[in-house]
Amino acid sequence: MNTVTKTYMRFPLARRIEHWIMMLSFTLLGLTGLPQRFPDASLSRSILDVLGGIEALRTIHHTAAIVMMFGTAWHILVMGYSVFVMRDQMSMLPTFQDAKDAIQALLYNVGFAKTYPQMGRYTFEEKMEYWAFVWGAFVMGATGFMMWNPITATQYLPGELVPAAKAAHGGEAVLAVLAIIIWHMYGVHIKRFNKAMFNGKLNEEEMLHEHPLELADIKAGIADRRPDAATIRKRQMIYYPIAALLTIAMLSGIYGFINTEETALTTIPPISVVSTPESGSTTP
Amino acid sequence: MQHRIRLRPPQIWTVSLILGFGLFIFALTSSISPVQAAPGFQPSSQEDKPDNDYCLACHQEAGKTTTIGDETLAITINPTEFKLSVHNEEAIACVDCHTNIQGFPHRKVEVDTLREFTLSFLETCGDCHEEEYTKTHDSVHQAAFDKGNQNAPVCMDCHNPHTQTRLTGKSSGELTPSARLKIPTTCAQCHEDIYNTYRSSVHGKALTEEGNVDVPTCIDCHGVHDIQDPTTVTFRNSTPFLCATCHTDEDKMAKYHISTNVLNSYVSDFHGTTVKLFEEQFPGQPTNKPVCTDCHGVHDISRPSDPETGIGMQENLLVKCQRCHPDATANFPAAWMSHYEPSPEHYPIVYYVNLFYKFFIPAVLGGMIFFVLTDIYRRIVNRMKGVKH
Repeated sequence: MNTVTKTYMRFPLARRIEHWIMMLSFTLLGLTGLPQRFPDASLSRSILDVLGGIEALRTIHHTAAIVMMFGTAWHILVMGYSVFVMRDQMSMLPTFQDAKDAIQALLYNVGFAKTYPQMGRYTFEEKMEYWAFVWGAFVMGATGFMMWNPITATQYLPGELVPAAKAAHGGEAVLAVLAIIIWHMYGVHIKRFNKAMFNGKLNEEEMLHEHPLELADIKAGIADRRPDAATIRKRQMIYYPIAALLTIAMLSGIYGFINTEETALTTIPPISVVSTPESGSTTP
Repeated sequence: MQHRIRLRPPQIWTVSLILGFGLFIFALTSSISPVQAAPGFQPSSQEDKPDNDYCLACHQEAGKTTTIGDETLAITINPTEFKLSVHNEEAIACVDCHTNIQGFPHRKVEVDTLREFTLSFLETCGDCHEEEYTKTHDSVHQAAFDKGNQNAPVCMDCHNPHTQTRLTGKSSGELTPSARLKIPTTCAQCHEDIYNTYRSSVHGKALTEEGNVDVPTCIDCHGVHDIQDPTTVTFRNSTPFLCATCHTDEDKMAKYHISTNVLNSYVSDFHGTTVKLFEEQFPGQPTNKPVCTDCHGVHDISRPSDPETGIGMQENLLVKCQRCHPDATANFPAAWMSHYEPSPEHYPIVYYVNLFYKFFIPAVLGGMIFFVLTDIYRRIVNRMKGVKH
């Protein structure tokens, strides 16, 4: 084997930063969300103690949610650029081949298939995780909105959907956190320590093992065909205004998410301290 | 023989002097003999102090008064009421409490007002009722007294020592039903407004109109001798657990077909979780999340099914919601599950969402774990065979 192994750039810095932001906010959301889902667990109490109580916990949870909303908005813009301007292959889209790959991988593992499936830029495992995250973000966003803004939600929806949203938010959270621990941890940290989100690169051997079809495309020079500069500029002129509108829409969406309601979040003095007939008792 | 009993004049003087001196000593010692604080105190006998009947001989006369300063003090003791009192039952002598009285005429009272006269007996109660007496020192009434409110209630304001009947069962030590019935009117002597509100509540009505002693009276929530300030954050945060003492008691609730799941359903809701975490971690920290009383009322708690005021009616509940969420609209109250456990009948959407995740989570994670295990298995097999995956 060569002393210098050839490496392939898998995730440029911008994508890695995006991933780290999502990872950080996801971790914080889980860390501050699960104690609310399981308030009686001793671990929850320890977390509450460390973070300074339930109100602080909720503030951190909301802040992390806002970070994740920005992360999601940014991802949508980046994907839009990739799809509409660069016309990159939409390599993350699930295909029928992924299902076949998954079955073949399973059969190979248990000894019924001779070879492990050969996969491209994103394996079925990665696609599964990506789309699970998309689904999760959608569910958590929608249900989170209803809990964050229950008054607005119940202007249009039956009240019962608020506790239903809470139930779904909690269920989905348990699923998401455990899925990350089982699937993500195993897939990229335990099976083989994948450094692509640290230094952005995979080496030749890793590429050969995990993304042989992509490697073949790279070697054939068809993996990364960029449009010429003029075409890019032309498409940018169309995409940028659309992206700007999209950005405004998404930012106002986030703003609305955070600011629609005040009453549910603003701290109101405890009712018994505000003067009521009871507290003005006739003490002799 | 005659000689023996016939005393000459000088001898008469000597004997009278000795007898007189003896009587004087007796009177002195009996008046200063301390009434000891031991509970269950039993006077050795009534022989060595003035008999209660001796005092009543004068004091049972109706309409008897005296003056302290400019005020009139009724000093009539109704003998019938006194005979029924617990102090009489326990053979407590008048002079056990009225230690400054040794005979007639009584020693002059050295206070200027009726209140001062009452207060001068305070410590006397503590001599026998040490536990209760000590407790009162931690009460909100004592705090008011310490701030200079002389009218803040002391022992005798709730328990007239001349008429107070036995409050607790002799063997059980529990409050007797008749004692429970009298509690609200005792407090009403000062807290009349609250009493009137209480009387209209589901609890108060049952007590005052039906004589039902299952329901809470004042002291079940506020305590007896060490009554705490109910306007503190700590008191407010602990309200759910206060109500739960009865409302999670299967035996008590079964009789009235009231759910005992009220605390669980409250605590598993957003508001209840918050309050519980506050209560346990920061008892003194205020929270604006509602406790039982914020929706159900304090002294005016009504039956949830009451068509007028019951918060089982969504439109009545909405009013409560709007106290904290002023913009809440008609659908909003249904966001609170009214202490129901979600079921196909009550809050079915919540029930089915929970049911979905009950199966979806293990299905997804189970599939993942299965795949991961097969992958680990293959790696081990490959490594043993020396095959590179």
